[in-house]
Amino acid sequence: MSAGEENIATPGEILGDSSQFIAGKGTYLAPNGRNIHASLTGQRRLVPPPPDSAEKRLTVEVVGHKTRGAVPEPGVVVIARVTRVMARMASADIMCVESKAVKEKFTGIIRQQDVRATEIDKVDMYQSFRPGDIVKAEVLSLGDARAYYLSTAKNELGVVSAQSIAGATMVPISWTDMQCPSTGQVEKRKVAKVL
Amino acid sequence: MEVETSSSSTASLVDKAVVPGDIVLDLTSMSDQTIRLGAGLRQYSDVLSVVKAGKLKFKKPNKYWVESSQKRYAPSVEDTVLGIVVDARADNFLVDIKGPTLAFLPVLAFEGGTRRNIPKFEIGTLLYVRVVKANSCMNPELSCTDASGKAAEFGSLKEGYMFDTSTGLARMLLSSPTCPILEALGRKLSYEIAVGLNGRVWQKILVEKLMQRVQG
Repeated sequence: MSAGEENIATPGEILGDSSQFIAGKGTYLAPNGRNIHASLTGQRRLVPPPPDSAEKRLTVEVVGHKTRGAVPEPGVVVIARVTRVMARMASADIMCVESKAVKEKFTGIIRQQDVRATEIDKVDMYQSFRPGDIVKAEVLSLGDARAYYLSTAKNELGVVSAQSIAGATMVPISWTDMQCPSTGQVEKRKVAKVL
Repeated sequence: MEVETSSSSTASLVDKAVVPGDIVLDLTSMSDQTIRLGAGLRQYSDVLSVVKAGKLKFKKPNKYWVESSQKRYAPSVEDTVLGIVVDARADNFLVDIKGPTLAFLPVLAFEGGTRRNIPKFEIGTLLYVRVVKANSCMNPELSCTDASGKAAEFGSLKEGYMFDTSTGLARMLLSSPTCPILEALGRKLSYEIAVGLNGRVWQKILVEKLMQRVQG
């Protein structure tokens, strides 16, 4: 048996004993509480415990071959495209999580009270977003079965890129206005302050 | 048949029939001015062109728009329309106003409206309402009050008879001075009439007043 094969684990394979290892990512503890099994196919890896904890055991992980696409988590900034604007919320398709593109479609909802930080009951959704706008938003929570809850209530969150009625990409002029370069018309959006 | 090419002189198009593609104004030849565009006109870089067939209108000092008459209605803000209740939800009524989508009438958009005295409209009730919000991506929003919050004749219309017309006929009935048809009818009958800019007209003959005139 060559050295390379020892590192590859397949689902179900016993990786060690719970007295010597902690079950990490890609592994699970058997119901009898003693064996640690792999749940993915991939490379077996040992991670030393953090230096200031009382834990002496190493953590065993299995790292899969396929890099999974990014998944939104609460607290991360995502880039999304607005699909529908309604009276009290806007729905958007999440396209990137931090700087990685997602492999499958996630839906997010920006509620009226999460559009901005001030005067949240006077928010007009139509003057904040339009369908087709690209927005930078933060994931608030996993939301319900249909969509993540997103928020644009910070200066650096909001519309990053939008098209005017005439079809040209607009230029931001303040945190509430964007201007079309070909017609000069000013349209209202909740604009992100991109530094 | 001679095909005319669109002329470059612009003043001549006002009050004339225009078709999509006609150029109303060439902005490169004009200095710093504010021009207000109404329905049916769009700005393409430095040219104002027509996107809807109709008659070009101009109102001083700077407002241009195209007036056209159709059976379908395009909702626009501050129009008074006649709607038919289609459904009642928790916080708004769904009302059909002959537009591309149903309109929402908030349950509290009435004079003195609170959660305790929500009106109970049955499906099929005819309402005289005002359009508050109308844009291309959302359902229009209506209200049964005027801008200051008073009831002002808005609300449900009982009895009478409702019929559909084109939007052009509805505008003609609402024009000032009073439309001659309404005056001629008024000489013979006593009636109440409500005209919706969405091409719906409701009329009720006041039978008691009519009987008084016939007898007295």
